[in-house]
Parts: sequence; structure tokens; C-alpha cells
Amino acid sequence: MIKIKEGSVVHWLIRLVWVAAVVAVVIYIPTKTTSGTVGDFTLAFEYAIAAMSLNLVLGYAGIISIGHSAFFGIGMYTTAVLVSRYDWSQGWTFYVAAAIAFVVGFLVALPALRLKGIYLAVVTLALGVLFPTLIRWDKLEWLSEGPAGIDGITYDDIPKWPLIGELRGREGRATFIYWVAVLLLVISYLVARGLVKSRVGRSLIAIRDNETAAAVMGVPRARTKTVVFGLSAAMCAIAGSLSATRLNLASPDIRNITLIGSITFLLIMVLGGAATLWGPIVGALAYVLLDARLRDAGETGEGIVGTVFNDWLNIEGSPATLVLAVILLAMMFVAPFGIVGLLRRIARRIVVIEPRPAGHPIDESNLPATTEAVAEVDEGLAPGAEVNVFADPTTTSGEPT
Amino acid sequence: MSLLDVRRLRAGYGPVNVLHDIDLSVDDGQIVVVLGANGAGKTTTMRAISGIIPCSGEVTFDGRSITTSSADAIVRAGIAQVPQGRGTFPELSVIDNLRIGAYTRRDGGTSDDVERWFQTFPRLAERSDQRAGSLSGGEQQMLAIARALMSRPKLLLCDEPSLGLAPIIVQEMFHIIDSLSKEQGIAVLLVEQNANLAMDIAQRVYLLETGRIVASGDAATISADDSIRKAYLGY
Amino acid sequence: MDRFFEALFLGLSAGATYSLVALALVVVYRGTGHLNFAQGEMGTLSAFMVWWFNDKGVPLLLAVLFGMAFGFLLGAATEVAIVRPLARRSLLAVFVATITLFLGINAYTSGVWGAPPDELMDSLFPNDPDDFVRVFGTIWRYKDIGTMAVTLIITGLLFLLFQKTRFGLAMRGVASNTDSARLVGIPTGRILAGSWAIAAALGALAAVLVAGNQGQVTPTLMVTVLTYATAAAVLGGLDSPGGAVIAGLLIGVGEAEAAEFAPGWIGQDMKLGVALVAIFVVLLFRPSGLFGTAKVERV
Repeated sequence: MIKIKEGSVVHWLIRLVWVAAVVAVVIYIPTKTTSGTVGDFTLAFEYAIAAMSLNLVLGYAGIISIGHSAFFGIGMYTTAVLVSRYDWSQGWTFYVAAAIAFVVGFLVALPALRLKGIYLAVVTLALGVLFPTLIRWDKLEWLSEGPAGIDGITYDDIPKWPLIGELRGREGRATFIYWVAVLLLVISYLVARGLVKSRVGRSLIAIRDNETAAAVMGVPRARTKTVVFGLSAAMCAIAGSLSATRLNLASPDIRNITLIGSITFLLIMVLGGAATLWGPIVGALAYVLLDARLRDAGETGEGIVGTVFNDWLNIEGSPATLVLAVILLAMMFVAPFGIVGLLRRIARRIVVIEPRPAGHPIDESNLPATTEAVAEVDEGLAPGAEVNVFADPTTTSGEPT
Repeated sequence: MSLLDVRRLRAGYGPVNVLHDIDLSVDDGQIVVVLGANGAGKTTTMRAISGIIPCSGEVTFDGRSITTSSADAIVRAGIAQVPQGRGTFPELSVIDNLRIGAYTRRDGGTSDDVERWFQTFPRLAERSDQRAGSLSGGEQQMLAIARALMSRPKLLLCDEPSLGLAPIIVQEMFHIIDSLSKEQGIAVLLVEQNANLAMDIAQRVYLLETGRIVASGDAATISADDSIRKAYLGY
Repeated sequence: MDRFFEALFLGLSAGATYSLVALALVVVYRGTGHLNFAQGEMGTLSAFMVWWFNDKGVPLLLAVLFGMAFGFLLGAATEVAIVRPLARRSLLAVFVATITLFLGINAYTSGVWGAPPDELMDSLFPNDPDDFVRVFGTIWRYKDIGTMAVTLIITGLLFLLFQKTRFGLAMRGVASNTDSARLVGIPTGRILAGSWAIAAALGALAAVLVAGNQGQVTPTLMVTVLTYATAAAVLGGLDSPGGAVIAGLLIGVGEAEAAEFAPGWIGQDMKLGVALVAIFVVLLFRPSGLFGTAKVERV
């Protein structure tokens, strides 16, 4: 086992290597692989953003939401309507979609967050079920085109990019969207990271762990939660806008704006590792990869997949969802921290980062107010600290004597 | 031979061991009190004997080993517990609380016993159909004792029965425990912080300190010992 | 007025199936503290079992009993193998697990039985075009009367189970105070599994009724019903069986009447929307549902 001091040169070197590797992969994909693969990665990034938005509220504040597909849909349809009907250019629609979703999310959260855990989950369920219904509603057809959907969300002018050169045609479009997705993903990641490490993030974790204590300490529960829910909605909407741009259409039949979509985001998050920053990204990549492979195998009926599913279990078509479900269920027992958690555990056997002695001396002149100062204490948020969202912190070994 | 024999009992929660080699015993019909301050391990001892938490060592009851028996087997063997904080079933009615106490019984005498307890505790009879959670602390304690006795145990475990009750109620309650024990020959193992009243009804006393028995003897000897008296009885 | 009664009747019949599934959800919630998101799918799987038995020559009624037994075992197995170990970690873990089960079972049934030939299932009740009764001038079909009757009977049986049997007392005890339940000698594990088993059997019955109504068993049989049932359970108060039944009927009638008298506004798709919005509004004013009890949480 190698021990490395946090903040030392070696530590920074490792971080640099990681970043370089990631950048290398990101650049490699659109330049050296087929447009099909590029499309797959773009799809994965879409899922990653959506899962990350879910991660915000669920992983860090314990709010269960199975209705985020509605926000995804808001993003998708805002872009679709504005571009096809009002001739907006794509870029601006993203901002509008995020704003609308933020407002809707905020408004929904205001009363809903008063409800207790499971009741809140049911309200989000209602949201997720309601959205496609609204889209199909004939009273709203003037806006949403009902069951037919909106298509032709095209864009013609792809600007000339400095290093990448001119992008033309289908390949060009695929590459362009890919880079847009990367950009949005990076932004989302930074937002999520900033939120987590900030005072807001810590108060979120405080709320999650013990609402009453957090209230006593002066953390403004309702306001914090509502704002974060709104932010999460906005982020998910961005993923939806991206989707509309990528597919060039919007329709109520698209899985991601239905309840199944919400569930998929949730499961991707869990697969990758709930309450970790990289979990949604890893989960999304794993999901898309799995889905692609299994779908191919399911269609041709070849190999192990073909035998197990087509012959033994009599399943036609792609067993992708079934396999995902089985893997997830198994993982909840074996690796509850998701893929990222598993990798971290393995990595910890090889390399251990010794944290700096805690507590940078508190700058007295900078203290805002006493209660908020408590939230400044850096406990449990050492880099790499895992937050186990699946552990109920109130049922540890503390028992009365 | 003792009714309950506990040797080298060890128990804890997860990696934390709370009890370190506890030895104690209770004879038929005897009232034994274990005194200890907060955190001494009283509730842990009760839970270990009742099989709620796993333990190691040797716990023998009525000649049979119950160290690794399941909680429901232990109840069937004849041990009943009045848990700390009463442990009433708050949403159930008073009469259902009594009935559920007799869960392990297969004879038909449950309703007779319910009647009997209503006669012993008329206040419970008055509130027979009320939600048990709405009763006062003292009433809930009576209910908890009656519920435990519904299973016709040979040994009654009481975990801090005086907790949160007014002194007058506590006095009445210890008196009831004492007379019930003598009338029906039920042995009682009682853990308490409140030493005075408990010692009055006890035949034997153990002192529990941070998971270890530090002294034992009959009640008279313990009260007579100055140092123990000062430390535990405060005078 | 005729239309009102006809819609009322149809609404009651639809609502009866929502009530049955809502009851299942409440049994699990009250008994074990979890919401089983996969309740509908477990029912669908059981309905497919019923079809399979029937297809092999087992008379329908007997097949239904087999299907309910299958559901019973499935529920118990789920509780023991999945819920209990995960419940030690957190409620969220169990919820995610039931969602995963939902997806998994749905994928399985879609894969195996998704394509034609269709799995036809007859209704349990006589269902020819002339099997109806005229009451107050409106038509009441036998199968709708049958559905409601079954629901009422089941509700009654459950009431008896909870209030008058030793097992029911144990279930109520475990729900009220699990620790004390262990201390009076109740084998809590068995009771917990029993709650899930009973609920799954209920779900199976409900699925059979729905399948009979629509003439075939399909993988998406219970998806909409589950949403309605969840809404009903929540509306009635998750720990109130009576509330679940009443709420289910209310929702059924409400949407039927809305569809009847405001068809321009409430089409097929919006029916569900109305139900959901109504629930949302109710929860705003009564966060624990109409008949639920608000638990005071200990700090």
C-alpha cells in the first residue's frame, strides 16, 4: 500500500494524470471513432447530466424524486417549440428551458417539501406521470402538437471551430453536438461540485443527516431545499434541451420524458454511485454501453446473452433492461456505493491519501454569524470521503444502556 | 439450582462491547435488583437475556441454555420483559396490549387473565378500548407489567420501571411488583438507577458499573456497607 | 341523471380495482413501513401465471387460486431476500430496490409475453353482451358487480384478519412497536414476510380482475393501475386500509364522472392527470392523507 500525503507533489501529479487521461479520452472519441460511437457517448453525457441533477437532491438531501423526467421534458419541449415555431436559435433556448424548469421546480418544491419522505416521493411520481399526459392533452395541442410531436428542430450553421476545423454534414453535426454535450457536462459537474463543497452543500448534508439538528443550528431548511430542487430541475432541463437538439425532434413517446425515464435516471445514478460526483457519469457510460451491447446480442441471438435470455428464459428482443435491473439489485447488496464506490475501494488498497490535519485556522474577522460558522467545520468532507446515501445515519450502533 | 443463571455474559452493539463477563443469578420466586448508573449496561443486560441482541457466555434458564435462543423461544420458555420506557403498543387499545402479551400462549385462559388484570388495575379497565399511547406514564407502566405477566412467565425482567414516573407512582408500582411476585411465585430481575425503593423489595442486589459486576450480596448487607451506600444511594 | 348513475357505477367498478391494489400497498406500508413500487408488476406476473395454468387446462377459478398462491410466495420471498437485508441500511435502499424490481419484472414479462399471440383471459364473471342487470334504468354489467363484490368481500376479510385474529393482532403489534413485539414472543420476521405475502396475493387478484376486464393479460396491465392505486393509498392515508378503499372508489368515481360530464376537457389521457392533481391538492392541506395518522417523530 502506498501512502501519499494530501497536497503533496505526488498527489498533484496523480490528479494531473487523471485529468490528462480524461481529456485524452474526450478528445479521442470524436476524432477517431465512428459517428455511431460519438452518438452513444453524447447520449451517455445526456443521461449523465440528468442523473447528476437527480444526484443533487437525492444524494445530498435525501429527497427522493421520480419525477425528473418532467423537467427533462420541459427542457426538451421548450427547445422544440421555440426553435420550430418561433425560429429561435438553439443556444438561447437552453437558457430559457433552464429558467422555466427552475421556476416550475421551485414552485412544486415549495408546498411539496413540507411532506414527509414517502408522500413527497409520490408527488414526484405524480409529476412524472403527469407530464406526458399534459403533452398529449388536446387542450394543449396548440403548444405541444400533442401525440404527433415536433420535429425538424434543425440547425444549419455550425460555426468554424478553431482546432477542430469545419464540421459538415451528419458527421459534423454529431461531433458538434458531442462537444456541446461535453461542455454542458463540465458545467454541470462544476456546479454540482461547487454546490457540494460550499456552505450550501454542507447544509444539505446536514439536513439529510438530521433535520432537527440542522434546524436548531439555523440552517434554513425550506429555503435551501427548495432552491436546490429548482437548480436540479434546471439542470435536468438542460439535458432535455440537449436531447431535443440531438434528436431533432420532441415527442411524448420518448422514454426519457415518461416515468420510465425518471426511473432510468435514478437507476443510472445508483449504478454509478449515488452521492458521488463521478457516479452519474460512470453510471451513464456503463448503462449506454450495456444497452448497446445487449441490444445487439438480443437481436442476433448470439453468444452467452443469446443463450441465457433467448433460449433459456424465452425472452425476445433486447434483455438490456432486465440485465440492468438484475445487476443493480445485486449491486445493492455487494456494492452499495455503485461502480465508483467499488473502484474507490479497490484503489484504496493500492494507494491511500493521508489527509491534511484538519482545520485551517478560522479567520475571526471573516465569521458571518455564529450558526453559520458551525457549518464551516470541515468534517467528513475530506476529499474522497464517501457519503453512503444508503446508510441511515440514525440507526448506527448507538443504543441505550 | 437457580432459575436464571448467567455466567461470563458478554454483549454489545457492533464492535463495541458493553458487558464484560457478567455473572448473576436469580432463584425461584426471588426478587433481584441490579443497580447501576447511566451507561452501566443495564438495558444491554436485559436485552441480552431476552435474546434481542446476540451475546456470548452462558445463560441458563430453568435448566436449559438460552444463550443462543431466539427472542420468541425465550418468551415461550417463560421469561417476559417490561422494557425501558414501558414499550407499550401505542396504536393498539389497552385490551389489545394485554391480549398481545399472551401471544405465545396456546391455552384458552387469555380472556380470564385479561379480566383478572382489569380487576387488579381498575384504571386500565376504565380505559379498555382507549389507545394505549394516550395513557399517562404510570398507567402505561401498569399496562406494561400486566402485559408481561399475561404470558404467565416464571421470570419477569423489569428495565428501569421507575423511569419518568412520579415518586408516589413508583412506590405503588414497586409494591405491586412485590406482591405479585409473592402471590404468584414469579421471580423478578429488576435493573434500576433509583436504588432506594428497589432495595426495599429485593432479596439480592448486584452493582453494575461500566459493564462489570462490582459487588453483590443480600439487600441488607449492601445497604449496610457505607462506601456502597454513599456511592449508589447518596447518603 | 342516468348518465350520472352509469358513470357512478363504472367509476365504482374501476375504483374497486384501484382500491384492491391500494389495500395491498397499505398492508405493506402499515406492516413494514415500506412502499412497494413493484406491487403492480408482481400482480402482473401472477396474472401471467394464472393464464399459464389456465392454458394448460386448469379451470380458471382454480388457476386464480394458484396464481394468488404464487403471488403469496413471491411476496414472502421478496421480503426475506431483498427487503429485510436492505432495510437494515435505509428506507431509501428498499425503495430503490422495489423500483428496480418494477423495472426488472416489467422487462421480464415484456420479453417473454410481449408479442402476439395474445394471452387471452376470460373475466371471472359471466361477460356476454347480455350479462347485465338494469337498476334505476342504467345498465350494470355482471362483471362490474362482480368486481365490486370481490373488493368488498376482500376488504371485509382483511378487516376480520386484522381485528379478530391472532395473526392480525401480531401484524398490528409489529407495525406499532417492533421491539416490544419481539419481547412478547412474536416472530417478527414471519409477520413481516406475511404482510408482503398477503399484499402480493391481493395484487394478484386485482391483476386477474383487470385482465379479465380487458380480455387479456399484457405486460403493461398494471402500470396505470399502480399509479392510481398509489394515489389512492396516499390520498386515504398510507396507514389506513379503510382510507385506501374509500379513496380508491372516490378516484374511480371522480374520474368517471369527470370524463362523462366534461369530455372536452377531460379526455382519456387527462383522466389520470385530474386524479393526480386532486391528490396533490389534498396532500397540501392534509399531509398525511384523509384518514392517515401523522406520526410524531422522536428527535
